[in-house]
Amino acid sequence: MDKVVQSSEQAKAPSIEKSHETPEGWEPNILAFACHYCAFAAADLAGVMRLSYSPNVKIIRLPCTGKLDQIYVLRAFEKGIDGVFVAG
Amino acid sequence: MNDKISSHKNGSVVIVGGGIGGMQAALDLADSGFKVHLIQKDPSIGGTMVMLDKTFPTGDCSMCMISPKMVEVGRHINIDVHSLAEVVSVEGKPGDFKVRVKLQPRYVDPDKCTGCGDCEVKCPKKLPSEFDQGIGKRKVIYSLFAQAVPNTRAIDARHCLYLTKGTCRLCEKACKAGAINYQDKEKEIEISTGAIILSPGLDRYDAAVRGELGLGRWKNVVSSLQFERILSASGPYKGEVKRPSDERHPVKVAWIQCVGSRDSHNANPWCSSVCCMYATKQAIIAKEHDKHIEPSIFYMEMRAFGKDFDKYVERAKNEYGVRYLRAMISGVKEEPETGNLLMRYADEEGKLIDESFDMVVLSIGIEPHKNAAEFAKTFGIETNPYLFAKTSPLRPVQTSRDGIFVTGTYQGPKDIPDTVMQGSAVAGEAMALLAEARGTEAVHKELLPEKDVEGEKPRIGVFVCHCGTNIAATVKIDEVVEAAKKLPDVAYVTNTIYACAQDNQAVIKEVVKENNLNRVIIASCTPRTHEPLFQETIRDAGLNKYLFDLADIREQCSWCHMGQKEEATKKAIGIVKMSVAKSRLQKPLKTDSVSVTPSCMIIGGGIAGMTSALSLADQGFDVHIVEMESELGGLARNVYRTLEGNDVQEFLKATIEKVRGHQRITVHTGTQVKKTEGFVGNFKTTLANETVITHGAIILATGGTEYAPTEYLSSESEKVITQRELERRIASGEKFNPGGKYVMIQCVGSREEPYQYCSRICCQDAVKNAIAIKEKDHGSQVMILYRDIRTYGLREDYYKKARDIGVLFVRYDVENKPLVQQEGNRFKIKTHDYMLNRELQLDADWLVLSTGLRPHPTTENTGKMYKVTRNQDGYFLEAHVKLRPVDFPSEGIFVCGLAHAPKNLDETITQSLAAAGRAGVILSHESLAVSGIIAKHKKELCMSCLGCFRVCPFDSPYIGEDGKIAHNEVKCMGCGICAAICPAKAFQVNNFRDDQILAMIDAASECESGVVGG
Repeated sequence: MDKVVQSSEQAKAPSIEKSHETPEGWEPNILAFACHYCAFAAADLAGVMRLSYSPNVKIIRLPCTGKLDQIYVLRAFEKGIDGVFVAG
Repeated sequence: MNDKISSHKNGSVVIVGGGIGGMQAALDLADSGFKVHLIQKDPSIGGTMVMLDKTFPTGDCSMCMISPKMVEVGRHINIDVHSLAEVVSVEGKPGDFKVRVKLQPRYVDPDKCTGCGDCEVKCPKKLPSEFDQGIGKRKVIYSLFAQAVPNTRAIDARHCLYLTKGTCRLCEKACKAGAINYQDKEKEIEISTGAIILSPGLDRYDAAVRGELGLGRWKNVVSSLQFERILSASGPYKGEVKRPSDERHPVKVAWIQCVGSRDSHNANPWCSSVCCMYATKQAIIAKEHDKHIEPSIFYMEMRAFGKDFDKYVERAKNEYGVRYLRAMISGVKEEPETGNLLMRYADEEGKLIDESFDMVVLSIGIEPHKNAAEFAKTFGIETNPYLFAKTSPLRPVQTSRDGIFVTGTYQGPKDIPDTVMQGSAVAGEAMALLAEARGTEAVHKELLPEKDVEGEKPRIGVFVCHCGTNIAATVKIDEVVEAAKKLPDVAYVTNTIYACAQDNQAVIKEVVKENNLNRVIIASCTPRTHEPLFQETIRDAGLNKYLFDLADIREQCSWCHMGQKEEATKKAIGIVKMSVAKSRLQKPLKTDSVSVTPSCMIIGGGIAGMTSALSLADQGFDVHIVEMESELGGLARNVYRTLEGNDVQEFLKATIEKVRGHQRITVHTGTQVKKTEGFVGNFKTTLANETVITHGAIILATGGTEYAPTEYLSSESEKVITQRELERRIASGEKFNPGGKYVMIQCVGSREEPYQYCSRICCQDAVKNAIAIKEKDHGSQVMILYRDIRTYGLREDYYKKARDIGVLFVRYDVENKPLVQQEGNRFKIKTHDYMLNRELQLDADWLVLSTGLRPHPTTENTGKMYKVTRNQDGYFLEAHVKLRPVDFPSEGIFVCGLAHAPKNLDETITQSLAAAGRAGVILSHESLAVSGIIAKHKKELCMSCLGCFRVCPFDSPYIGEDGKIAHNEVKCMGCGICAAICPAKAFQVNNFRDDQILAMIDAASECESGVVGG
């Protein structure tokens, strides 16, 4: 039990990145991975129905969300994408 | 040769009606070498299914399922869709009909129209939308719904200001493509065709006729189809459950069943087959949309007779709290101050209860079109008294006129999978009729040789489309063009008003050649609809079609971010950037093909297997039937009459003779499959007797068995018999004494754990035998103890007939089953009568048990051998419950008959013809092309960890002879699950390779977030 507490404290202590204030009006850059057959089709339908959402989402089409490799998600965060959305 | 059939046969088929049944038939025929003319009276194909929100019992989105099929029909080279069209006359005979078709003016030129919808925005006049059942509005120039095919708008001439009053012309001004043509006239064309398929679909009972139920009078009473639109995310309330009077969220919602159905006095006498299930579905979906809703369903009998339907109803009761009340509602009154609706009904004890609801849904039934009589006359076919097309249970999709077939609800009320089955079945029938004409009218496109660009530096051409104002009004096209010019390897950028317009296809081809481009990107709309078109264009320009990419800046940009010009432009630039990043790494892909052995192996020699065999043999393919028993016939050997009175034994005998006498059919009896190898087009089967068969397709028609009862003294008395035994005795006269007292007990071994499913045939068997007994001796007494009488569809007539001639029906409850005691040679039966609300004591000479069906014991092993799954009850599970009812996920393997689920003889025959139709599609090809978008396996990287082998849904990775993983590309569907799981990255999906996706991610990360001020 003690050990666990200790390790969680350790994890807290040396923060790799300093948390900083989000600037006024900042919007995240979001990347979506969408299955061709469902979520990508849903994104199309949203357009057909003129449903509005924030323009900071861009979509990468995959033949199936089962194709999503963890490397894609890691690469996105590594390159500074702020949020990843997987839909399928 | 039969002189009724023309010696000259046309290789084309006319299909009248483009709902799901007609579309299935069209695709099956066009995919197997026939030319199809699809005649549709509405401006778009789609029929009834497109209006539905979800489907039972899986809750799948209806539009999501049907939309890709519509797109496929719309762009199939061998399907001509004639919309706003009706057949006016038919002459000729099977093989060579002349069909005259009247085309209503559309006032929009389909060759020029790009479907952008600019005209619709400008049109000043609104009308109630037919598609939204009058709850929503549409314009006078309109498309029926967003995903319409063809997507050419049509002008409703009755309401157009210019066409009626000579003023307006706003749509003409809005149309940049110049597609509006007010001078359009009615036309007539003549089509020569080999066969005709009728799939005109259904009309719905007009519940306003039943004024006492309040439709059209009380605002919060809606029809079930209106409620379907209310539930739909694309419907008038965008999927929010609201009631029309005040758009408030209703809490108490009631469904009234059998409105317009099962009512021979005021409405239609038949059962509409689908309402019990769609009401259950609507109650579940409404509850999913809004957990405060309290659904109540008022019904006469719960007819959950289909595969997994009973389980669905149980879930509705137990998990969703749907209240089912067995009560008929005779009137609905509005409380004026609240708009709520008051209903009076009798509960199980007979007590009258008044209850108020926020909203009432009328479950309206299915009926033939209003002009059904005239329609039948046009085609020269007979109808039944209710104006459905007349068919025989033994030839369920053949009309009274040879060469004219029928599918869907025009043949009788039915649900989507039964309609789809009939769609494939009529296709199979037409393929057999026109076998020798296959391929004579179908068009094949001749392609120029492909330019070799291997090793060349990428030279990308980018076309940024305005789509009239659809994109250009929101995205600054010139900025996108300028940004694209700066991207690496981009050699040419231009803008275009409509990239998809016919004249622009020629421009694109020229540009590709002149600028020596080897990659093309169109920044316009969605790849889901337009990619094949542009791929064809660049292929015509000599480029491999996989060197194309579509950047979707309309559906996924301009249409979603209207009024946000800066942001939308930035996003569009980002999308193009990502597309260029992917395109630079595109490689030309070669598509292989494999040859097809034009023969089929069918496991099971019952009616199902034999029906499939005859259809395929008539289509011109060799067929092998493998039957484990020593003779053909299966369960039908114990069936003597159909409910409708057809002689089944005679039919069986004739069928066996035809099978035995057909030169293309080889029958292997008394043996089983020992070993199976291969894949679609190239299977190899070794039988237990060491016979080796090579074949291109497999049909599993392994059948079922009858449940042998242990209940109700069945093992103790000779006078307790099954319906099947009674049927035999009635037919043979042996040990049959019509004058006695018969008590029949339904659902023996069905609809109870562990067999929580309806066996579908027992109600009709009981009714059939009861009528036979009464007809032999009217003095005999027959009493049927039942839970729900499920004489669905037109079978309801016989239920009524049984009641009319004095058969007594007494309902029992599963919690309170009848108690049977033997007294000497007779029985005493105690049961609770819910009508009288007291115990009944019955005497009987004979106790007849309606025993259900079970899957055949071989189903389990067959399933394992072919790696096909079974449902909880042990029946084979089809690829898709709604739209692929005879397919398996593994290509080239099909299912029909009782192996799939319990069903009546006519349905078994239909499904078997459908399996033959589907198998015929594969066997008609000399070779099968393998898709370019498949996973590629690099053996040198592979460690044979079996990760891919375990996860692939299509079994394409396999263990090769060297004991290592190999990959069968023919089976691969390109989903890429293998690629994601492979630790060595030995699998890469063409055009979705990791390096391409990573390049897209990098490009996306370099984009500005798209939000100004960010």
